[in-house]
Formats: sequence, C-alpha cells, structure tokens
Amino acid sequence: MSKEEKKPFSQTMAEWRQFVYNPRSGEFLGRTAKSWGLILLFYLVFYGFLAALFTFTMWVLLQTLSGDIPKYRDRISSPGLMISPKPVTALEFYFNKSDSKSYAEYVSTLKQFLKSYDDSKQSKNIACTAGKLFEQNEDRAVKQACQFNRTMLGSCSGVEDDTFGYAKGTPCVLVKMNRIIGLKPEGEPHIQCSPKEEGKVQITYFPDGGTIDLMYFPYYGKNLHADYLQPLVAVQLAINSSSTKEDVTIECKIMGSPNLRNEDDRDKFLGRISFKVQMSE
Amino acid sequence: VLQDDHKLSKEELEEKYTTSISKGLTSARAAEILARDGPNALTPPKSTPEIIKFLKQMVGGFSILLWVGALLCWIAFGIQLAQGVASAFDNLYLGVVLALVVILTGIFAYYQEAKSTNIMASFSKMIPQQALVIRDGEKKEVPAEQLVVGDIVEIKGGDRIPADIRLIFSQGCKVDNSSLTGESEPQSRSCDFTHENPLETKNIAFYSTTCLEGTATGMVINTGDHTIIGRIASLASGVGNEKTPIAIEIEHFVHIVAGVAVSIGVLFFIIAVSMKYKVLDSIIFLIGIIVANVPEGLLATVTVSLSLTAKRMAKKNCLVKNLEAVETLGSTSIICSDKTGTLTQNRMTVAHLWFDDQIYSADTSEEQTTQSFDQSSQSWATLSKIVTLCNRAEFKPGQENVPIMKRVVVGDASETALLKFAEVILGDVMGIRKRNRKLAEIPFNSTNKFQLSIHETEDPNDKRFLLVMKGAPERILERCSTIMINGEEQPLDRERAEAFQTAYMELGGLGERVLGFCHLYLPEDEFPDTYPFDTDSMNFPTSNLCFVGLLSMIDPPRSTVPDAVSKCRSAGIKVIMVTGDHPITAKAIAKSVGIISANSETVEDIAKRLNVPVEQVNKQDARAAVINGMELKDMTAEQLDEILINHSEIVFARTSPQQKLIIVEGCQRQDAVVAVTGDGVNDSPALKKADIGIAMGIAGSDAAKNAADMILLDDNFASIVTGVEEGRLIFDNLKKTIAYTLTKNIAELCPFLIYIIASIPLPIGTITILFIDLGTDIIPSVALAYEKAESDIMNRRPRHKKKDRLVNEQLAVYSYLQIGILQSIGAFLAYFTVYAEQGWLPNTLLGLRVNWEDDYYNDIEDSYGQEWTRYQRTYLQWSGYTAFFVSITIQQVADLIIRKTRRNSIFQQDLIHESPFFPFSRVQYWFVAMPYAILIWVYDEIRKLFIRQYPGSK
Repeated sequence: MSKEEKKPFSQTMAEWRQFVYNPRSGEFLGRTAKSWGLILLFYLVFYGFLAALFTFTMWVLLQTLSGDIPKYRDRISSPGLMISPKPVTALEFYFNKSDSKSYAEYVSTLKQFLKSYDDSKQSKNIACTAGKLFEQNEDRAVKQACQFNRTMLGSCSGVEDDTFGYAKGTPCVLVKMNRIIGLKPEGEPHIQCSPKEEGKVQITYFPDGGTIDLMYFPYYGKNLHADYLQPLVAVQLAINSSSTKEDVTIECKIMGSPNLRNEDDRDKFLGRISFKVQMSE
Repeated sequence: VLQDDHKLSKEELEEKYTTSISKGLTSARAAEILARDGPNALTPPKSTPEIIKFLKQMVGGFSILLWVGALLCWIAFGIQLAQGVASAFDNLYLGVVLALVVILTGIFAYYQEAKSTNIMASFSKMIPQQALVIRDGEKKEVPAEQLVVGDIVEIKGGDRIPADIRLIFSQGCKVDNSSLTGESEPQSRSCDFTHENPLETKNIAFYSTTCLEGTATGMVINTGDHTIIGRIASLASGVGNEKTPIAIEIEHFVHIVAGVAVSIGVLFFIIAVSMKYKVLDSIIFLIGIIVANVPEGLLATVTVSLSLTAKRMAKKNCLVKNLEAVETLGSTSIICSDKTGTLTQNRMTVAHLWFDDQIYSADTSEEQTTQSFDQSSQSWATLSKIVTLCNRAEFKPGQENVPIMKRVVVGDASETALLKFAEVILGDVMGIRKRNRKLAEIPFNSTNKFQLSIHETEDPNDKRFLLVMKGAPERILERCSTIMINGEEQPLDRERAEAFQTAYMELGGLGERVLGFCHLYLPEDEFPDTYPFDTDSMNFPTSNLCFVGLLSMIDPPRSTVPDAVSKCRSAGIKVIMVTGDHPITAKAIAKSVGIISANSETVEDIAKRLNVPVEQVNKQDARAAVINGMELKDMTAEQLDEILINHSEIVFARTSPQQKLIIVEGCQRQDAVVAVTGDGVNDSPALKKADIGIAMGIAGSDAAKNAADMILLDDNFASIVTGVEEGRLIFDNLKKTIAYTLTKNIAELCPFLIYIIASIPLPIGTITILFIDLGTDIIPSVALAYEKAESDIMNRRPRHKKKDRLVNEQLAVYSYLQIGILQSIGAFLAYFTVYAEQGWLPNTLLGLRVNWEDDYYNDIEDSYGQEWTRYQRTYLQWSGYTAFFVSITIQQVADLIIRKTRRNSIFQQDLIHESPFFPFSRVQYWFVAMPYAILIWVYDEIRKLFIRQYPGSK
C-alpha cells in the first residue's frame, strides 16, 4: 500500500508492548488470563483425548498381531548375506598382519559373535539330520534348535588360532545368511566366493564347499526359537604376497538353491555380498 | 496549465503559430514541427516487460522459500557427492523437482495472467483516422497522426476531433463531450470566446470528442500528449496501481505460512544440531520441513479458482482483466459510479408529456415498443403531428428490421429522441413527412431558441398550410395567444399560463430538458398555394400561435439499475454517484435509481421543507447529499471525509477528473474498498486509482478500458452485482481451500519432527509430500472453489479490509493445532501398522534411525528376529510412505467434506462427489486412518453445531 505511512518505531514498539500485556483490559497476548486458561484447558482435554485415542488404537493394533510371527513377510522373501566382522566404515578391511592393534577390532568382534556358538551354550540343542529341513510340529510351544559346532569352522573357529588368521595374513570372514522366519531353502545351498581379479587370493571354505545345511531351516522366530543358531560359513583368504597392499574385492554369493535369489539389480546384498580386503605387512 | 489560445483573435493566433488561416502551413514547415513535437498520438501506457512479469511470478509467494530449499538440496548434494555418499543424487533430484515446481507454477500463473490480459489487446486496436487539413493552400487528407500545431483542419458532423482545436469558423457545430466531461448533452461550438476556463469556452473542440453535426474549421493548438485528453491520460498513468485486496490477503497468508515454516525449520535445525546430528543431515531435515510446510500447489489452486471464476463472470458479461480483481468486487464497500452511460442509457428519451393540462409519463425503458399513456385526446394528435413534422432528424436508410430504439439516427440527441418517440407511437414518420411536404424551415439556433417549419397538409381538401414550432417553452409560450385543451383552442389566460408554469417547473425539477410545441394553420386566403415563404424575412406569422403542449426528455436510467442499486444496498455497499453532469439532473437520476432513496433528504431539501436557511439545518439529519464540483474544490480532505462518513447517500455533480480522483482517495481513507465505474476518458484516473476500476465495454473509451480492471461487456450496472456475488463466493471458497490445504501440512510436518526427535525411520518422503501437494490435493481444492454459497452472501456486509482476513488466527489454529494434529495421529497409526505387521514393533523403531539408514548394515534384526538388508528396509520405508500418504489422502477426504461448509452442517449442503486419486497400496491400509477420518468429521460437526448455537464468540 503506497498510501500507508510507515509508523514510527516507538509507536510500533508501544503497540507490541500493549499486545504483550494490556494493563487496561488485563489482556495478555490479546487474551485475558481466563480466556488463556480456557484455551489451555481445552487443548489439555483435546490432546489428552487424542493421546488416549492414539494409545487405544495402537493397543488394538498390537492386539491383532501375533507375538511369534509377523503378519506379513512379503518384504523379505529372500535373505540377504552379511559378513562378520563388519568394518565400521563401508565393507573394507584394512589391517597390518604384524600390527595386532590394526585387527584387534575384527578379532574381538568375531570372538564376541562366536560366543553363542560355544558348546557350553548348545547343551539344549539337538543334533539334527543333515541335509533335511527340520520342520517342527505346530503345537510345539518352544521349537528346538540344531547344533552348530564351532569346530565346523575349522581354522576359522578361533579354537586353535585366536587371531582368526589375521596374524598370519590369512584373515577369516564369516558369511551368514539373514534369518527369515519360515524360509525353506531348496536344493543344496552353499556360499561361493570369488575375487574380482583371478588369482589374487586362495579361498578356503569351512565347512567344506561352503555348504549351508538345510537342517537349520526353517527358522521359527525369536520368540519360539530362542536357541536358534544360524548356520555360518567361514571364508579364509590367503592373499598372494604379490597382491598385498592392493585392494582385493571379494564377492560371495549363495548358490545352488533355486529359491534364494542372488542377482537383484537394486539390492546389492540380496543373496550376495562383496567386500574389500587390504592387507599390509 | 492551459494556454489562453481561446482568448486570442484569429490574427494573433496566426502570428503565434506562424500559419495562415486561408493557406495553412506549408508541407515543409509541417514536417519540421512534426519532427519537433512528435506524432499526434497518445503515448501508450508503459507496460511492464513480459520477462519482468515472468520473473515476478518466479520469486513471488512461496517461490523464494522453495528456491532456498532447492539450493540447500544442491549444496547437500555437492557435499555428499564429495563424501561419496550413495544417495547423494536423491538430493540433486529433489532440488531439481523443487526448482521445477517453482518454475512450472510460475509459468502457469504467468500463462493465466497473460491469457486474461490478451483479451484486452483487441480493445487497443484503433482504426487509423484521417483528417482534412489545409496545407500549401490546398485541402488534403492526411492521417491524423501527422497533424501538427498550426494546421488548419476542417471537421464535419460524425468526425472525431483529431486534435485540440481552436475554432475559427463554425456552422451549427455541436460536439459530444461526454467522454471528456461526462455531460450527456451535446455542446454547441462557435468561434466566440465565452468562458475564461478553456474547458468551458465554446471556441475550443477537444481531441477524441466527436462532432455530432454542423461543420467547423479550426486551428490545431495541441497535439498528442499535450491535448487535454492526453493530460488526463498521463494523470491516469501517474496513479499507481493499488494492490488488490486478495493480493494483500495472499501475501498475509504467505507470511504466516512462511513464518511458521522458517521458525519451525530453524528451531529444529538447532535441535538437530544440538542432538549431535551432522550439520548436513540437519540441512536435509530443514529442507524436509520447508517442503512439508509450504503448500506448493496452493498458489496454483488459487490461480485456477480465480480464473474459473473469471470465466464464469465473463459468461455473465463481466470481463476481468486482472485475475485478482475477481475477488475485489466481493470486498467492495463503496461503488463510485459514473452516471452517463453506466446508470443511464446515454441517450435522450422522452420521459414526460404535458397536454390538456395534465402530465403524462412515457415509457423510458430500453426496449420500448409501444407507449401506454392516454392517446385518445385530439390534443395528442395535434402534438404528435408537430413532433413529427418539426424535426430534422432522420433514420439512416436500410434499418427497417432493426428495433426502433436501436436504429441509427442522423440528428442531435433531442431530435433523435423525438423522432424515435414519434416512430414508436405513430409508425412511419418518414411517410408522414412525405405526405406533409415541407415548404420552409428555420433550424434551431441559440438566439431565437426555436425551430420552425411550414408544411402542406396531407388532407387534399385542406389547402391551408400548417406552421409548426418547437423550442424553449418560455419562448414558445411568448408567441402563443391560445392553448389547445382537449383538441379545442382556448384563450391563453393567466390561469392557463400558471398551469403551464407549474408543469414546466415540475418537469424541469426532474432534471429533464423541456421543449414547448405550438402550431398555426395559416389562413388559405392570405397564404395561397403559391405563396413564397422566405425564412430570412419571415414573411409569415410567428406570434399568436396556438400552444399545444410540452415534452420533456432525459437520459433515462437503465431499467436494471434500480434493482441492482438496492441489491448493493442490502449487500452493505454504498453507491455514490460521481458525474460531470448538472446537480439537478444528477439528483433526479440518483432518485430514480435509488441512490438517493425515496424518503431521504438533502440539507437543501430540509431547508426548503422547514423554510429555514441552509446553514441552520443540522447536517446529521440529512441522509443524502448532493455536492457540486465547485463546493468540492474548496473543501479540505477532512471536510470531504466528514461528508463521506455522515451521509449514506451521496451524489457528486459537475466533477472534474481530478476531483473524481480526490473522491476515490477520500473513500479509500475510510478503509473502504472502492469500485469505480465509468466509461469516459475523464474517468480513467479514478478507474486506475480505485481498488477495482470497472469500464463499460460498449460505450467505454479505450482510455477507460485500459485503466480498468474489469469491463462490463453489456454496459449493465446490474452485472456488477453478479460480480460482487462471485467475488464474495470466491473469497469464502478460497478460505475453505486454504483451510483444507493447511491442515495436511501438519500431517506432513509431524513425520519430520518425530523423525528427528524419536529417530524412527522416516514416515514420509519429500517427494511424496510434493506428490500430495501437487497431485492428489489439487483437484479437491479446486473443487472447493465451486462450492455454492452457504447463506445469502448478498445480505451481509462487505468484509472489512483489515479485520476479516482470508487466513486468520482461528483458521490457522484450527487447521494446524486441531484437525492437523488429528490427521497426523491417524497417519502415524497407519505408519506403525505397516511396520508392525511387517515385523517392526513400535518400540523397536524408536532410536533406530542411524542403523536403519546405514547402507552397510544389512542384517538389522526386527522384533521377531528376522534380519533385513538395507534395500529391504528402504522398500519397507516406501511402503510406509505409501501408507502415510494414503492415510493423509483418506483423511483429506474427510477434511474436504468438513471444509465444504464453514458454518452449516454438511447435511444442510448438497454433497457433490469427488474422487481423489489413490495410488496402489495394500487395500486395508486405506482404512487404518478411517476412524480418524470419521473422527475429524464428527469433531468438526460438533464445532459447527457450537458455532451455530453460539455465534459471535471468540
């Protein structure tokens, strides 16, 4: 508005002060204390009601859910692969085999991870029939778990070599398949890893051939299957001395099972994983 | 300052302009002057370059905020790219999308604006005009543009005056100055200096007025922008365009929303930083908050709504030039209306007759085909014969199929009126004239003030000649000795003369132009067949005639106007008449259209009734006021304000263009939204100054149309009422649209706030928000613009410019803090449902954000022990977006339903069926938020119930 003259600053300030507190009408920010009180009360009641309503509807929602298995599993139809130890940044291992500090993190992670695979923890687990799915009766409240002995991981088990090969320049990496409730792999699933460039690394699998035994499936969920141990495949890398100080990229895939996908354009971890190793001496 | 060329003699003029009246300028000299003064044309008003208009659309409103958002996106992209973050390109794309949103809405608004401006382009095309000029001693036709000062031009009836001209020769020249002064009567033009004021003197004819009849020769004294009209035009262009009320309201609204967006954004930026989020992440949150808060689609919606209304109004003959003006009429509280051509038909029409000692009223409506007053009297037969014969006006040939009132007539306004009047009643006037051959004639001139003609009669047995005369009533009466009563000639005694005076005063008091009619049958013996009538020596009697009657004429009001004025009244709009015409005429018209209502009086009326001097009357008692331009000239702004406040019915007469401007400004000082209607060049400054200028499409001059915001294609004042109604409706409906749009902003904002504070996976993405704002929400919000009025909007007062805002505290609070929160909760329920049913219970989600978004963390465990890769989580997150989105959409349906009415229960309004567009999602998630949608509805119904029960509470 061209005609509207600018009010002097002092007047603007006075108007503001008047607005903040008007001593004549007792209005505070344009309303009286009583009015503010009523408004406050209204919002208290209103939001109280909303909170109660939200809580109630959430409760109703939770009532419709089973504590054992989620209602839908369609977003995870096929499992991802993951490794342990997981470097903090990206999936890149950097270590110096002669400097124990450089791999201490990896070793301790592995130790921690394998603790649940100690024999002492597996007293309740049973020895299952290898090569067959271990389906358990529906009415069984607590599902039994199959044994997975650390010894199956051979030189990567940490039993003989408590640096998991890192000190010798033959680091171990555990490859595991994500748990999915009710997943029943078909065929003979096994992990197969290959370096991007041929010949830079020799790879040894534990158990032999990187097999993942079917007896560990299906998984029944955290609640019913508390003792469940997921099968592991250890990969020991022997990096050629010529390739030290170079990045070695290793890609692992789950193979041999028609219902475990490993070629998804968008999900780089669905049935596969790739990580880098750089070792110095 | 005007020159005094009108006071100079011909010789002085020749000297001043170094020209010769007989020979004119030489071509060489004319070319020199043309080079010096430039062409004789008005410089078109400066228009803003298109690119500036376009850029304005790019930076107006929320655009700045969105540009900032886009810029932040690109900065974030740059940093992330340098850091090698995989998802960096998401920010690049988001930035591009935001920029696109701004650019596209800008282009859209520009296009809409340009479309309505383009309609105008056709008006400004003018036919090149030719002028007859004497140069090098020869008459030449030259384009009027090439006229220069000192040129001698000849004009004749029907011409447009090509420049300001000082007349040096004139024969029966009359001009129509109505476009300049607003006077509806033709003005005679002669070579005599009659008035100090060049605007009033008779020896100057003005550029762009028309010569109605006669011929004249004159010297060009002003050309182009120096002409009077040019000066008024430049006065108009000097008046700044006021911001339209809706523009102010939208600005206000943008400020509120932008204020909320920026303060919440900054607040949470600080919170995020102090919660140890990375600055980069905090910036990304900031972008999300801005995008969530800004209703991206709203301004486009407003534009669409306005242009839809503009279209609807165009169908009802209101053409809107400036889209925002659509609403302005709705908030109009004062209409300053020009009289001539707007309130009146702009043509003289016979309104009353007086014969047999009695006043008869004639039908003055536009479409008259018959007249219903008593025509049985012999006196009427006589009078009608005089009217028919003593008349020089003629229909242009070839108009037999055109309704009488619409036929084109050659002749001045009064004669035209009489001709049409006679044609309507008697039919075939030209035939009657042929049968009563005219033998001699004295045309009207200002000295004897009568017109006379002598005819043979159509009765072959009657060899007498008939002398008929008309003219100024008192002059006619002087020449009469008898008067015709019921077809009988009776002596004109004092009693009869007094009756005549009374009737004359009465008709004159109605602001009508009165003419007297008399006749005489010349005795056969004195005037035989072969008698040589000589008009110069007047060898026939011009006294002792027989007086027959009076006819009075007026430029009558349009028949639709009184109704329209009363509708404006009931809508709380004050109608003020501002005219260049005389106070008496102005007042008479004001009374007949209801601008001055039947029982209100002016100060002068009260003085007359109480028989006391005007000064003694208490001004507060008078509701009406008629202010003369001369009085206005001496008034201070305060006095004018006082008049505007104290009187509800005001007529300004004899006003100049500058005074019209002053009146408009006076009204605007009262915080009124002022509409000005007008057709003449003299109205254009006021049209421009007004909050909304309304020009007449048929009668309006180009200058008026250019200055106006709106054009009435049918010149009908009643169309304004339609405009007011549409304007009020669109304001109400925009309020609904905005309330509807604002509500979901909270539901879009909350996810970000909770995301930051509770570190849950992001419930809704920025692109999804844009999709709601620009996709699903557009159609319903436009649909709200189609809502019917809830109550009789024409029965309430116009909104107060500063109190009744488009977006007020209540609307914002109700949308944001009540319905908005309700909606958010509903949407969150859907979000938690999706995650819980896939294995992520709410308690697992809390604090999960960092791991959730870690690209290398591919085995996060959910509540059931399952492990998820990053992509699987992302996919689930998108499902969450969809659920959140669908919930908002579903609840927006409820919101749409509640916003359809503001006070009435929805059950009192017709439901029309809209179907907002739904994307695919697991069908049951559509229903998760359903209880909340229903709750929104129920809650709002309760609110409306309270509003109806306890209106007016805070």
